Amino acid sequence: MLEIRNLSVAYGKIVAVSDLSLTVNEGEIVTVVGGNGAGKTTTLRTVSGVLKPRAGEILFKGQSIVGLPPEAIVTRGISHSPEGRMIFGRLTITENLKLGAYNRKDAAGVKSDMERMFGMFPVLEQRKSQRAGTLSGGEQQMLAIARSLMSRPTLLLLDEPSLGLAPLLVEKIFDVVVELRNEGVTILLVEQNANEALRISDRAYVLETGTVTVEGPSTELINDPKLRAAYLGLD
Amino acid sequence: MTINYILQQLVNGLALGSIYALLAIGLTMVYGILRLINFAHGDLMMLGAYVSSIFISATVVPILLAVLIPTLLIAVMGLIVERTAYKPLRGAPEVAMLITSLGVSRLIQNSTVLALSPQPRAFSLPGDLTKTVNVGGIRFTQLDVLTFLLVIVLMVLLTLYINRSKTGMAMRASSENLQAARLIGINVNWAIGAAFVLGSALAGTAGFLWASRYGIIDPFMGFLPGVKAFVAAVIGGIGSIRGAVVGGVLLGVAEIGFVGFLPPEFSGYRDAFVFSLLLIVLLVRPNGLFGASEVERA
Repeated sequence: MLEIRNLSVAYGKIVAVSDLSLTVNEGEIVTVVGGNGAGKTTTLRTVSGVLKPRAGEILFKGQSIVGLPPEAIVTRGISHSPEGRMIFGRLTITENLKLGAYNRKDAAGVKSDMERMFGMFPVLEQRKSQRAGTLSGGEQQMLAIARSLMSRPTLLLLDEPSLGLAPLLVEKIFDVVVELRNEGVTILLVEQNANEALRISDRAYVLETGTVTVEGPSTELINDPKLRAAYLGLD
Repeated sequence: MTINYILQQLVNGLALGSIYALLAIGLTMVYGILRLINFAHGDLMMLGAYVSSIFISATVVPILLAVLIPTLLIAVMGLIVERTAYKPLRGAPEVAMLITSLGVSRLIQNSTVLALSPQPRAFSLPGDLTKTVNVGGIRFTQLDVLTFLLVIVLMVLLTLYINRSKTGMAMRASSENLQAARLIGINVNWAIGAAFVLGSALAGTAGFLWASRYGIIDPFMGFLPGVKAFVAAVIGGIGSIRGAVVGGVLLGVAEIGFVGFLPPEFSGYRDAFVFSLLLIVLLVRPNGLFGASEVERA
C-alpha cells in the first residue's frame, strides 16, 4: 500500500533521513521505533507532503505522491495524526472534527462519521461544544486521532500517540489502534513506547540516525535480546 | 470644560477609531496566520482612497459606488500582493516577509507618485454627507454616523463569516497552528488568501472613509494610519478580531482625547503619544486585551 524507496530528507544541510526504505502492506500495523532524532517524525511528515524529499520515491497504491501538496495526499487516503497532537485548542471539538473532513464534499457522510467518532470516543460527544483546549491530554489525543479519521483514510500515520499519557490511557489508545486495524484501516505507527507498539504491530522497523538498521516481524524484534538492549532500551 | 465638549471629543474619537478598527482587522488576521506585520496595509488604504476619488469627482455617480468599487478593487489588489510578494516566501524566516512588506509599501507609494503625482489632491464629498448636524450641542456629520454604522455592519458580517463559514473555520485553525492545518489537509494558501482579501477589502473601505474625513489624499497618506492600526491591533491583542476592533476604537478615542484635552502646544506630539501607548501596553500587558499568549498558540 505504501512503499518508501531510498528516501532522503534534509533540513538545509542537516540530513534527517537518508536512504530509508520501508513498506506497509494493506491491513498491517507497522511500527517504526528509534530514539530521538532518528528521523521517525521526518519520515511521516514527508509522506504527508509537508516536507519535500531530497531524493527517493514514495508510492501510495502504486502511484508516486512525492511533490503533491498535503491536501491532495489527504484526499488520496493518507491521514496524519501528528506528534504533540496539534489539536486546535481555541476551536470547539466539533469544529476540530469538521476540519478533519475539510476536503470532503459528502455532507451526509461527514455527519455520520462524526457520530461514529462520538460512538468510539464518548467523552468527545459529552464535551463537543467546548474548546478543545479544555480537554485533558488523553482526551486531546483521542480528538487528534478522531480528527485524522474524519477524512476516511485508508492509511493512518500515527506519530507518538501515547506520548505523555498515563498508563491506563496508553492502553486505551493502543486498543483503539487495534480496533481501527480491524475495521480495515492500515496503520503506520511511530512510537517511543516500543514494547507496547511491538506487541500490537505486525512488523517493525528500527531507525537509527535517519536510516533503517533492523526490520522484521514484531514478534521477532521484541524477543531479540540484542535489540532489546541496544535499540529499544528494554530489559 | 463642559460635558458637551467631552461628548464631542468622544464622537470624534469614535469616528477616527472606527477607521483604525477597520484597518486593524486586516492586520490582525494576516498576523494571526503568517506572523507578518504587513506594512503595506496602509498603502492599500491609500489606493482605496484614490480609486474612490475617481467616483467622487463624477458627481452623478451615487456615493455607494465610491465605497463599493474601492472595496472590491483593493480586495483583489491585496490578493495580488499576497500571491506575488509574500507567497514565494512561505517557509522563509518571518523577518524576510517583514522586510518585503516594507518594500511593497514603498513600491505602492512610489508607483502612485509616478503614475499620478506626489501632490496632494482634494477629496470632497458632494451632497449632505459632510454637512454638520447639531444634536443637543454636539456637532457631527452624517459621515461620522455613516462611518460608525458601516464599521459595525462590516464587523458583524465578518465575525459571522469567520465563525460560521468553512473558510472562516480554516482561517481560525490556520491562525492557531499553521503546521497542523497543513498536515490535516487544509489548503492554507486558500485561508491565507481569504485573510488578505477580507482585510484588504476593509482597507479599501477605510480609504474612502479616511479621505472623506480629511478631505485630502496623497500617495503617502496610508503609512502612518497603517502603523497606528497595527498599534491598535497590538493593544487589542494581535490575532484577535474582537481585540482589533476594541483596540482601534480605544486608540482613536485616546488620540483625540490627547489632542482635545491637553493644551494646544502638546497636539504636535499626538503620534508620539500613540506609540508611547504601545510601549506601555507591551510592558504591562504584552498579549493585549484579548490576545492569546504565545504559549497557548504553540
